[in-house]
Amino acid sequence: MSSAGVPHTDLWPLLLYFELVLVVVGTMLALPPFLGERRTRRTPATEQPYESGIVAVGSSQLRFSVRFYLIAIFFVIFDLEAVFIFAWAIAFRESGWPGYIEILIFIGVLVATLVYLWRIGALDWRTPRQRGIEATIHQ
Amino acid sequence: MTADALTALLPFIVLSAAAVAVMLAIAIRRSFRLVFWLTVGGLLAGLSTLPHASPVAPLQVTDLLRIDAYGLFFHALFLLSALVVALLCLAYFRRRENENEEIFVLLLTSTLGALLLVSSAHLAMFFLGLEVLTISLFPMIAYSVRASRPLEAGIKYLLLSGLASSFLMFGMALVYGDLGVLSFEQIGAHGAELEQKPLALAGLFLILAAIGFKLSLVPFHLWTPDVYQGAPAPVTAFLATVSKASVFALLLRFFTAAHAERSETFLCVLGLLAVVSILAGNLLALLQVSLKRLLAYSSIAHMGYLLTGFVAAGLLRRDLQTETIAFYLAAYTVTSLAAFGAISALSDDDRESDRLSDYAGLFWRSPWLAAVLTLSLLSLAGIPLTVGFVGKFYVFAVGVQAETWPLVATVVIGSGIGIYYYLRVVLTMIQPAGVGQRVTLHPAAGTALAAAALVILAAGLFPQPLIDAAANVPQPPPTADSP
Repeated sequence: MSSAGVPHTDLWPLLLYFELVLVVVGTMLALPPFLGERRTRRTPATEQPYESGIVAVGSSQLRFSVRFYLIAIFFVIFDLEAVFIFAWAIAFRESGWPGYIEILIFIGVLVATLVYLWRIGALDWRTPRQRGIEATIHQ
Repeated sequence: MTADALTALLPFIVLSAAAVAVMLAIAIRRSFRLVFWLTVGGLLAGLSTLPHASPVAPLQVTDLLRIDAYGLFFHALFLLSALVVALLCLAYFRRRENENEEIFVLLLTSTLGALLLVSSAHLAMFFLGLEVLTISLFPMIAYSVRASRPLEAGIKYLLLSGLASSFLMFGMALVYGDLGVLSFEQIGAHGAELEQKPLALAGLFLILAAIGFKLSLVPFHLWTPDVYQGAPAPVTAFLATVSKASVFALLLRFFTAAHAERSETFLCVLGLLAVVSILAGNLLALLQVSLKRLLAYSSIAHMGYLLTGFVAAGLLRRDLQTETIAFYLAAYTVTSLAAFGAISALSDDDRESDRLSDYAGLFWRSPWLAAVLTLSLLSLAGIPLTVGFVGKFYVFAVGVQAETWPLVATVVIGSGIGIYYYLRVVLTMIQPAGVGQRVTLHPAAGTALAAAALVILAAGLFPQPLIDAAANVPQPPPTADSP
């Protein structure tokens, strides 16, 4: 690990890049009014996302069950934890017994979390209403 | 890892184990009382490990953590505060309508984050500790999901915290890019040449901005009143005490390790932040009709007083600086716990009583509760015989000694304004009682409030034990001075 840091004279590519970004974005914002089509007459079709003759059906704002998001979040979290386990697996020999014990603790906490999520019903796909109906059926 | 290192890490290990155990207990059987006792047991077990950890201190455990008496003092303070907050939660969620057990898991993890934060000796641990603390706070703030205010407060805190974290990350990246090191000690070794390193200096200022957000210093304070008002009262108590004190303790450790006090620029900026925080906090507090918002603005002003002490004592001696800051933080923590505890005791998860009119005639409806609230307000105002006076005296004394006259003048003006709005609340409480019914105090809230009030009075009359505890604090990591 060098402690010299970045010499400031080597920063000019970064500055150049920064200026180029400004130029490109500025051009993209400045040109469309001159190059685009002239909209003198606004019709309902002008407001459509696709002005290609096909009339859009319905709204794009659908309602998803909040459970989709819950499962998605669990997936992201547990997926990330798996990445940590992979990182340990690569350094398996170097980390030795302490590393093994540490990853055991790590996985133990993960299992505890999974048990918790399972028990509070976070993995249950049904809504409370469906659960109630099913309970009456089984009686 | 040696046995010594494991002993030094015991508070963290016990607290983490307690959080997992509480979580599993919820999975097995949902019982608010059982979970509460488990949490109290975990916090007490964490406290009982501190005497074992103190003989092996100071000790560097890996590159990330440094266990020393300075950190252990704050560990004890935070564990005790978490205990008080747990008691307040038990009283606050007494109606037991929703599933409220998870607040204790979050309380334990956020306390763990605070402990990690004050013991960190490395920018990576600084970030990790801060995130463990903050991410646990998001759901705690938005805990009463059925009301709109907590949700709004939670979202605001989430977004602005994310912004502050990105500032922090960027600052750390700049420091690393320029110096090539991440541990506080090695950054300190570069301290002398810091003024000639523009990137690292910019990085330190970005880190300061993130810390300023967490401490709600004035240009970064806008979230404070809304979040304080929206969060459930026990969570506000936690937010105002443990979250702020841990970040301030870290600020002291980090900036003394990085030898920021050698930099004139830094001291000027800190002094400026202190002045605007004191003035804006106190002036805006005058306009409030909600007690929680009033206390939020008063906390902005108090962070300004602390920063004044930080700057002035930093000009004098290191040991005086730690003593001033540690004592003031302890005093502020106890006082805020009493003040927010009184609000919490009057509220439950259905209704927050935070309007000033809710407190009209409180002296006749519940004399003890009113007495505790009055005591804590007097302590916040810095009236003698309370612990707040001793804390403010420290700030004043170091300010005079260091001859930082603009700062001292601001503290005087701020305290003057402060007395007005604190006494306004007291006056409201002694108004003749209207139709208000008598207040029944939950025993858990009563215990917590009595303990906090006793400490305010005892440490105000005999401050020496607390001063000793704060002053025995050795230096934050002794750094190898660069020649």
